[in-house]
Amino acid sequence: MRLTLVALILSLASPALADTEAVIRDHILPGQAAFSAGTRALAEAAQADCTAAALQPAYNTAFDAWMGISHLRLGPVEEAGRYQAIAFWPDARGLTEKTLRRLIAEEDPVVNTPHGYAEVSVAARGLFALDYMLYDEDFASYEAGSYSCALVQAITADLADLAGKIEAEWLSGFAETLRSAGQPGNTTYLSAREVTQALFTQLTTALEFDADQRLGQPMGTFERPRPKRAEARRSGRSLRNVTLSLEALRQMASLLAEPPPAETLAAFDMSLKNAERLDDPAFAGVETPQGRLKVEALQQNIRAIRTAAIEEVGTSLGVSAGFNSADGD
Amino acid sequence: MTRTLMAALATSALTALPAFAVEKAAVLDTYADIAEAAYGDSLTTAKRLQAAVQVLVQTPSPEALEAAKAAWKAARVPYQQTEAFRFGNVIVDEWEGKVNAWPLDEGLIDYVDLSYGGATDENEYAALNVIANPKFTLSGNEVDATEITPALIADTLNEADEVESNVARGYHAIEFLLWGQDLNGTEPGAGNRPWTDYAQGEACTNANCDRRGAYLLAATDLLVSDLEEMAGNWAEGGAARASVLADENAGLNTILTGMGSLSYGELAGERMKLGVLLNDPEEEQDCFSDNTYNSHFYDGMGIRNVYLGEYVRVDGSVVSGPSVSDLVAAADPAVDAGLRAALANTMDKLGQIKTTAESGFAYDQMLARGNAAGEALVLGAVDALVAQTRDIERAVSVLGLDQIAFEGSDSLDNPSAVFE
Repeated sequence: MRLTLVALILSLASPALADTEAVIRDHILPGQAAFSAGTRALAEAAQADCTAAALQPAYNTAFDAWMGISHLRLGPVEEAGRYQAIAFWPDARGLTEKTLRRLIAEEDPVVNTPHGYAEVSVAARGLFALDYMLYDEDFASYEAGSYSCALVQAITADLADLAGKIEAEWLSGFAETLRSAGQPGNTTYLSAREVTQALFTQLTTALEFDADQRLGQPMGTFERPRPKRAEARRSGRSLRNVTLSLEALRQMASLLAEPPPAETLAAFDMSLKNAERLDDPAFAGVETPQGRLKVEALQQNIRAIRTAAIEEVGTSLGVSAGFNSADGD
Repeated sequence: MTRTLMAALATSALTALPAFAVEKAAVLDTYADIAEAAYGDSLTTAKRLQAAVQVLVQTPSPEALEAAKAAWKAARVPYQQTEAFRFGNVIVDEWEGKVNAWPLDEGLIDYVDLSYGGATDENEYAALNVIANPKFTLSGNEVDATEITPALIADTLNEADEVESNVARGYHAIEFLLWGQDLNGTEPGAGNRPWTDYAQGEACTNANCDRRGAYLLAATDLLVSDLEEMAGNWAEGGAARASVLADENAGLNTILTGMGSLSYGELAGERMKLGVLLNDPEEEQDCFSDNTYNSHFYDGMGIRNVYLGEYVRVDGSVVSGPSVSDLVAAADPAVDAGLRAALANTMDKLGQIKTTAESGFAYDQMLARGNAAGEALVLGAVDALVAQTRDIERAVSVLGLDQIAFEGSDSLDNPSAVFE
């Protein structure tokens, strides 16, 4: 019955349009600027002092900025595998460690050519390669002037390059592609509704990723918890990433739907409150039944946000989630 | 209030009512008929593979190994075209891992090169080598593998220790037993298992030829019985057919979900893009046989088949009927034209990879670091698949199906309680 009613409303009344402009102006573009600035500062810091301890603060600032936009899997970041080059995770086959070890063992000269590092496997690029280089005890004790130092400089320069290009392409084209949906010449979005659907899909897909991957990976199964699979566990950012992701998604949801979706925002607040109370930065607690239960509860909280968003935001905007890159296996 | 009326209302908001009505039920019949034929062809070709494998094990020779490899490649042609049925059909998706799981830690099954390494943090049994070891301990249990049977493979070895890469059954386990490891990296060349790995007596290489033969026979028998099960599910009275036909709009949604999920997340993302971005030939789906370009090509063809409502069987006969394309065209001809063009573009791009690979530029080489031409070929097909997904979403929308995914929550009643 509910299904029938929803469909009737949608087919008879014109659905409310989303405030795309607010999302672009107050969420997407500031987020791109912060990531671009954060990675540029990180690359500059690496030129000045490449050692791990010196770089950790700038690394965390850049990663925080990434969490403000990591849910936006559309436009420039989806070109030529840039997303994976920034954030290659999960890594079921341990390729980041394997590839870094090989580069270091061979002292691969690719780190010395300007922009050459863009050719390297994404497993050894971006934030998760840095998580190894700056925090793993097998990697992080390098000294200035060593191969690893040059490697870290190459990774940070490549990352800043990516972030700068992505921001520039948003400013010079893709923001306009979203704004001009439905106008002649726009072959990407044939109507404003398609943009609304695309933004809504980012919201629901990212919530799924937070629940299924950021929490689900370390949870493993009850018999076989997998704490070593937690995202960025070496830097102890696993829970922080979930919190920052939820904060970014909450902001996008509040801007996307007018009036603001009260139930969805309340569900975000509940999750954020419980994330704050979790006190388990790298989800090491999943190995104990009580610890696992808490992570599982947060996972349920996040799934409840997604359900609320689908029923409330999706319905009021007249869209449902489109396909996403997590469809499939 | 019927769903048909609902859809008609949704449709009429966008365009005039169509001059003729395509029956949704007839479209679903075509879809199920194609599934029945394609799984039936998969079964037929798997039985030919089974016959070839029996010859290889009973009378090993270079020719017998080549014949078995050829039969394996032929069997992949109809099977890959069924992948468009996987996502959206729960019965298929839950079954699929039995026949087409990858990537695999092949050291579970047989000998591997030293460069493979041994057990890993992720998989304690990555180098178990069942063929060389009739008795071993698995997750704390003593296993007697003296006789290698389909049941041993299915119930004990596959996904041993809850590790997904312990793939003991299906096309890719058989592929490994026929080709062996591909040790050529991103250079040309497939696996090069000698036929004498199945030879009897002193001619036997790499030891345990009898057990290797037994494993190959058992795995092939299992593939045949798995495909029998799925072909039956799509025959008249079968569970998968009944499920699709139960509700017209949900059935149509299933078709488009299968097309979109395979196009974007699975084929473009998981199977194609990652391999290039990682420069890693082990990310190739058919990595032992170097047949990956064909698997991708026939995946693309399978997506097009279900949209156009037409499938050319392995005997050359054609199964066709009213199609989703007809429905979409009746609702909005521009959306149908857009999706048809996108599907054609994808087949062009996948075809370019296929023809290039067949003329000597191996798929492995396309993945190599710094190989700009290879990267452009593969990412060109990825872009085409992503673009076609957008057109599939438009088809979902124009058919008024995009509200179907709404469903209730199954979350805990009060997940916050544990924080108190």
